[in-house]
Amino acid sequence: MFTRRSTGLVGALALALTLSACGSSDNDADTPGKNDTRVFTADNGKVTIPAHPERVVATGYAVPTLIEAGAPLVGISSWKRGEPMMDDKELATYKKLTKVAGEQASETNYEAIAEAKPDLIVLGVPAPVLGDIDMKRLKSIAPVVAVGPMLPTQWREVSRKHADAAGVLAAYDTMKTTYETKAAELKKKYQSVLPQLKLGHVGSYGDTSKGTFQREFNGSWGTNVAQDIGANYYGKVKKPGPGSKSVSEYPSMEELGDSLGQADAITYSVNADGSVPPSVKAVLDSKLWQNLPAVKKKMTFPIAYTEAATYSDALKTLDAIDTSFAPLLAK
Amino acid sequence: MTAAQRPPAGGRAAGEARRIGLLVGGLVLLAAVAVVSIGVGAHRVPPAEVVRALFDYRGTNDHVIVRDVRAPRALLAAAVGAALAVGGALIQTLARNPLAEPGILGVTAGAGFAVTVGSALGLAGGQGGQLLCAVAGSVLAALLVLAVGRRAPLRLVLTGVALTAVLGGIALGLRLMNPDVFDAYRFWSVGTLAGREQEPLTLPLAAIGVCLLAALALGRSLNVLALGESVAQTLGAGVARTQIVTLVLITVLSGAATAVAGPILFVGLIVPHLARRPAAGSAPWLMAYSMVLGPILLLAADTAARVLLPTGEMPVAIVTAFLGGPMLIWTVRRYGAGAL
Repeated sequence: MFTRRSTGLVGALALALTLSACGSSDNDADTPGKNDTRVFTADNGKVTIPAHPERVVATGYAVPTLIEAGAPLVGISSWKRGEPMMDDKELATYKKLTKVAGEQASETNYEAIAEAKPDLIVLGVPAPVLGDIDMKRLKSIAPVVAVGPMLPTQWREVSRKHADAAGVLAAYDTMKTTYETKAAELKKKYQSVLPQLKLGHVGSYGDTSKGTFQREFNGSWGTNVAQDIGANYYGKVKKPGPGSKSVSEYPSMEELGDSLGQADAITYSVNADGSVPPSVKAVLDSKLWQNLPAVKKKMTFPIAYTEAATYSDALKTLDAIDTSFAPLLAK
Repeated sequence: MTAAQRPPAGGRAAGEARRIGLLVGGLVLLAAVAVVSIGVGAHRVPPAEVVRALFDYRGTNDHVIVRDVRAPRALLAAAVGAALAVGGALIQTLARNPLAEPGILGVTAGAGFAVTVGSALGLAGGQGGQLLCAVAGSVLAALLVLAVGRRAPLRLVLTGVALTAVLGGIALGLRLMNPDVFDAYRFWSVGTLAGREQEPLTLPLAAIGVCLLAALALGRSLNVLALGESVAQTLGAGVARTQIVTLVLITVLSGAATAVAGPILFVGLIVPHLARRPAAGSAPWLMAYSMVLGPILLLAADTAARVLLPTGEMPVAIVTAFLGGPMLIWTVRRYGAGAL
């Protein structure tokens, strides 16, 4: 009964929105191209969206991208994992914006989205997560564009699509160019040392209750930005799975020596404030870690901001990598 | 102790020899299970290397795995198993309730509540912080239950159940309102021994050791108490003193075990039932058998937890739950309701 009432309420709101839009069309007629539409290809198919959206709701990975690019946001989902990577201005914007969903897709507040009166909804969640969302209900409010990463490296393409849909591609491309310029500089800076090293990475998603640690390979969250400056993370996942499981694995702590024994140098994820996450600390505290050749040679490097999902975030990752790798040039 | 369980007077010596034989057999089995536990894991270590790691330590990866990971973990499993089993035997004897287990005193709920509150306040970030919070929570909860319900076993059980419900409800509310707290609690709430052997365990293990010895020493007093409070008082036993000491032992044993390994159910419930038959109504023997069977059960479960899944380790609490249920049913069917 609640669902029916809610659906009815949303339907009424959608109708009111439509009538409201019709009523204001005369006033907007003077703005060139304001009512133009275009067809956008997303994970949920081809969607007709406004060519110049003015009221955008963003969720998931779309949140940081569209805040940074200055999109006309009227509602966002919670995005706590990205808070440490936001600068003061972005954080202020993030906190000020109305939250229309929680951290999980299942925590979407459909009535809050309807109240925000968006003309475009950008869902930044992976395709399998779309099953947790009532797409029919969302589409009754505004056109819905769903684009999410299936692999860690896909944040580049995904964030570009988010910016494109929200009509802020120019600002996005500026950030992208800044990042690529910086990455090229660092690649040149470390070209004499970095490409020759066999690197291993310990990620922060190990599960101490299972006695495991996270080993990340090329193309994972903790490694993909370092790869842009010439780093090479050797090896591959023993039993690849879907998504991020194709580029990272969770061996037992007992297998630390087997897994990272061949590494010339090891990087590991740390928090934005430099503190070591518990799952990584468990690795660093173990005697097996002390037995690793790379550790004995003091070739270990902490990397912050490994959750980067935008070019602005990744710039911070580049700075963190540069700071951490600096001693390599002195060796 | 019932007349049916008490051995005939003529066969007392034979019964005593049988009990000793069973205990020795149990100790041999415990040693065998411990050796298997030290020899088995994700990384294959040849048996000869296992022996060398124990007696000729060279600091290689194999030796580190055996000496610094598996051996301390086996010791931890043995200590936690003994603590939970003896805690269960004590509470069942004291409450004269066959379904009583250490958690009934609110110890597990108190530890969980303290870990939740500690996480919300930023005090339980690492495993060390969680350990301290769990110890404090379990002790405070048990003290509260003892203060309110110590006058009668039934009152004690009801107080424990009520406090468990209240603390569980508040903690759940806090976790639902704060995803970070939920995340921190999630790791603690899975009863496991993986990685816990790297924590500072000297104090909890020492406390468990002292309490196990005290439980053995308390056995004769519990024998008298098992006859009923009125009879015990008539016989001149210090009923109140025995009850208080028993409650303190239960609190420390189960509190320390829960703090270091998280909630592990069934061990405290099932082991006393397995030990009761061979103990034949003797509380000291019940404690002794529980002290041997508890470690055997937890060591076996922990070893199974490491090898059962091809995808990796599973929490030992899941294995004990799978083992505990069928074992309880088997015990009831084998010995009948009288065994309980």
